[in-house]
Amino acid sequence: MIAAVALVVGVLLGLVLEPTVPIWLQPYLPIAVVAALDAVFGGVRARLDGIFDSRVFVVSFVSNVLVAALIVFLGDKLGVGGQLSTGVVVVLGVRIFGNAAAIRRHLLRA
Amino acid sequence: MTGEHARGAGDESLSRQVLESTRGRRVKHRPRLGVMSTSLLDSLLTDHLDHGYAEAAARKAERAAGDEPGASHRTGWVLAIGLLLVGFLLAAAARSTAQQAPDSERARQALVRDVESGTVASDALQRRAESLRTQLVRERNAVLAASVTGDQVSRQLRELERAAALVPVTGPGVAVVFGDASPREQLDPATGEPQSVPPEDSGRLRDVDLQSVVNALWAASAEAVAINGKRLAPTTTIRAAGEAILVDLFPVSSPYTIEAIGAPDTLLPRFADSAASRRYQSQAGVFGIRFEVRRSGDLSLPAATGTDLRYAQPLGPSAGATAPLGSGTGSGRPSTGSPGSITPSGGTGSPGTGGGS
Repeated sequence: MIAAVALVVGVLLGLVLEPTVPIWLQPYLPIAVVAALDAVFGGVRARLDGIFDSRVFVVSFVSNVLVAALIVFLGDKLGVGGQLSTGVVVVLGVRIFGNAAAIRRHLLRA
Repeated sequence: MTGEHARGAGDESLSRQVLESTRGRRVKHRPRLGVMSTSLLDSLLTDHLDHGYAEAAARKAERAAGDEPGASHRTGWVLAIGLLLVGFLLAAAARSTAQQAPDSERARQALVRDVESGTVASDALQRRAESLRTQLVRERNAVLAASVTGDQVSRQLRELERAAALVPVTGPGVAVVFGDASPREQLDPATGEPQSVPPEDSGRLRDVDLQSVVNALWAASAEAVAINGKRLAPTTTIRAAGEAILVDLFPVSSPYTIEAIGAPDTLLPRFADSAASRRYQSQAGVFGIRFEVRRSGDLSLPAATGTDLRYAQPLGPSAGATAPLGSGTGSGRPSTGSPGSITPSGGTGSPGTGGGS
């Protein structure tokens, strides 16, 4: 319950406060979003598996976002930013699909 | 797809991990070097869930066995903060995307609107200036017609205005249609579709080309010249600004129609015999540019936009009739054969419209 309320409040805060993303942060935003989605799907699946742990969820979310941003940052500095972002998106995308499939099996038994 | 693939192995390995870790043994994925490559791919395709969850579940089970009090209150808040962050991040990303994508488009649209409204305003002002000028001429003539000296002054004034291209004129002459090479049809290498390729630089006219044609027309004793309906006054420039060609600071685009009024018998032959005409005639075949000259019985050219002399001062009331034009522009137009009230004082060797580019 409190989780749903927190999520809604977070979205509302993001919409109401109209945060302006600084220019230097903008390249990392898409990657951060993909990483966040990965953490969310992983959390939902863990919940359905019955092994959810909120601390693991928060830590994995924050670290995923930071590591993804760091990888892109390093890539930008080394001249392979585009390729590294693609790699991050592919890996996280595979994980998201896998977790989504597991969630689907849990919910629909199919 | 990945999900289907992962169905058996993923669930099995997960439950095995949970099982194993509940027995207190940490699952460690430290494959030997030989199987590194396949195990990396395997774990990418099958282990979608963070191993932290399994380990945390194992710890929890241990604690439950040890009968410690649960910290569910605290973990609820941790989860709330995490989800708050997730929601905030997603909303901020959505907002910034929605804001950013149309931003460039909006700026472009605003610029286009600015240009269009500026053009409309400038056209309206131009029309107003013209109507005011005709009104001014009418009023002035009415006033001057009252006296004998006024009549004389008025006649001189009209003469000067004609020479300075300040009145619309009509008469026989030639029209030169001068244009860039037309775009070539070419097959697109990627799609095989025909596409039009803009002409290369050699087929594109530049300001010097217009200048030399106009100068050749002046030299062939043209009395009034206009490019695309833009009348050339003695101080009008033809110059380039980047890719565009400006005539009196107004952009003109290909094809350029250069109309010149002059003696019907001599203007066309003289112009056709000029070096510029012969040059472009031959280049039309080589580079594909358009260069057509035809006689025209009845041309009517508008008045040029008035130019204020900012530095040149008229010599005085007595010399006023003849001096200002010659001394003012520095490059007088060739004597047009009209009554000799206008005597160009300098620079007759290179007549006509100079273009500073």
